Amino acid sequence: MMSASSLSRWTMAYFAAALFFLISAQVLMASGYGFPTASIEAPETLVVVHMVTIGWLSLLMCGALFQFVPVLVAQPLRDSTLALPALLCLLAGLLCLLGGFLQTAGTIDLDIPFLAFGGLFLPSGFALVIWTIGRTLWSVPKSGLSLPARFVAVGLTCAAAAVALGASFAWVLSGHAPALAGTDVLAFGLPVHVAMGLGGWLGFTAIGVSYRLLPMFMLSPDREHGTGRFVLWAGASAWGFVLLARPFAVVSGSAALPTGFAGVLILVATVFFAFDLIFFYRHRRRGKIELNVKSAIGAFLVLYCSILLILILVAAGTFAEHVDAVVYIVGFGCLTGLGLSMLYKIVPFLTWLECYGPVMGRVQTPRVQDLVVESRDRVFFTLYYAGMLLGTGALLVGAPILFRVATAMTLLATMAIVAELVVARRLVNVGATLRLPEGASRPRLFLPHWHAR
Amino acid sequence: MSAPHCDLDVRPILREGGDPFAAIMQAVAALAPGQRLRLLAPFKPVPLFHVLGARGFSPSAREIGSGDWEVIFTPAGVEQSEEAPLPSHDDDDWPAPDLELDSRDLEPPEPMVRALQAVEILAPGQTVAVLLPREPIFLFDELRARGHHWRGAFEPEGHYRVVIRSGGRERS
Repeated sequence: MMSASSLSRWTMAYFAAALFFLISAQVLMASGYGFPTASIEAPETLVVVHMVTIGWLSLLMCGALFQFVPVLVAQPLRDSTLALPALLCLLAGLLCLLGGFLQTAGTIDLDIPFLAFGGLFLPSGFALVIWTIGRTLWSVPKSGLSLPARFVAVGLTCAAAAVALGASFAWVLSGHAPALAGTDVLAFGLPVHVAMGLGGWLGFTAIGVSYRLLPMFMLSPDREHGTGRFVLWAGASAWGFVLLARPFAVVSGSAALPTGFAGVLILVATVFFAFDLIFFYRHRRRGKIELNVKSAIGAFLVLYCSILLILILVAAGTFAEHVDAVVYIVGFGCLTGLGLSMLYKIVPFLTWLECYGPVMGRVQTPRVQDLVVESRDRVFFTLYYAGMLLGTGALLVGAPILFRVATAMTLLATMAIVAELVVARRLVNVGATLRLPEGASRPRLFLPHWHAR
Repeated sequence: MSAPHCDLDVRPILREGGDPFAAIMQAVAALAPGQRLRLLAPFKPVPLFHVLGARGFSPSAREIGSGDWEVIFTPAGVEQSEEAPLPSHDDDDWPAPDLELDSRDLEPPEPMVRALQAVEILAPGQTVAVLLPREPIFLFDELRARGHHWRGAFEPEGHYRVVIRSGGRERS
């Protein structure tokens, strides 16, 4: 019936699509599809990787940014009507991309240039997202941009680079880019595509968003510290070096210098980020922290474990051999762990606001935390992290069956958490007397109400 | 000149796990006409503002160190001794806030709930001031939808202060 204009209309649809792809990817992995049964560059593996990075993580991030950026800059989302076309483009593009990989794998045999279509729809979708969020960020004076907003701006730039490279791969692989046919664009750009996509876009943006969400949920002071700005600048310069590494190599013959700079800067940025995390935690005014923050802390601990793992592997000279385990722990440990933690708070929060906003202050309403049952969900988050760590171990020692078992554990945990989010949307955990007072608006599962307030 | 303040320190009661409500109400009942109640508490007793507000007392609160608060409840018709928390740079047609809520230490969406609860009990034209940890975007939506007006700005200390004027009957 009603919805406040600050609630992003399509965010829940983005989240629903994202969770669909996360669960589908985990089902495929648990059933032994793609890596490690197939090789790391096999099309089957690429199907799973893009279901996770675009389907799950990017859709989650876009949906969250549509909701979050207007709050960050205290401005309405510019061109908010583009959120739906962007979602449709991203979904169509992802399905085409997956179709293209399945063609390459020989799974489907249709005479449609899926990869090329993917290389059109996906950049269009991302362009719409970047346009909408970029314009919203641009609408405030540059000096007034808060630290998290600056992180988002850098993240969007990295997304643009990752998508441009990805699209050029798709065109080359589909044979629709004769101009690039002579160059080995994949060998040239693949490491940059991965670093920009996973690190710059998903990782850096997530860190930026955490700079606002963590103090908000822990009631810590969120004044901007020098360390936070240092993380921003070190990170942004690192992504700059990553971008320049290949052109530099063409001129000088080696990419070692800029790559080394980027590595050191990222390392320093994560160390300074740790100082800020500890600051938020120690200065929190909220004694008992909720499950979403505990789980987010788990995700950050995994981040530091993964950095330790990278350092050990580099020191031992076996990084290239174990890059699979590194990508897995970053993607499923840090990013997915953080993503599920934040969803566990954001979905009940937005549901509460949508439902009880109209009657707030007039009648007694349930608390946001009444929409979920933390005691039982704690088990699922623990199971998720346990499965993820076991999976990383399985990849490190090369035990594919154990990896499938571990993925099945994460799948089970994810499905339980998703079920809890559905239950939260349906207000099942709220006592019948408080559930729908007169004037409250029952939320739909993930589609918006058509007539806004 | 009105009678001197009646002092009531509820900190010992709270330290021992007791409920100071009865003591406060006794003290209020024993006040001479026009006499103010000076309350010392280990937190800002916002719920009490509503209770005593309904009895015609306006609160004026200040932090006195180590998290403790001094609140002076002034009965209606008596000039407030403390400087009233006026929306400093606003137009004259906005009356001084009848209520000042400090929601800086509350987790979202609690600050919004408290603010709307307070607005609901205002008469049209009356105002309430709310201190928040950050700019309340969602609250503005709800105020707009309900036909209330507000003026807000960041304070030098970093928090956000908004003064809301009741628009009377809601539009939505």
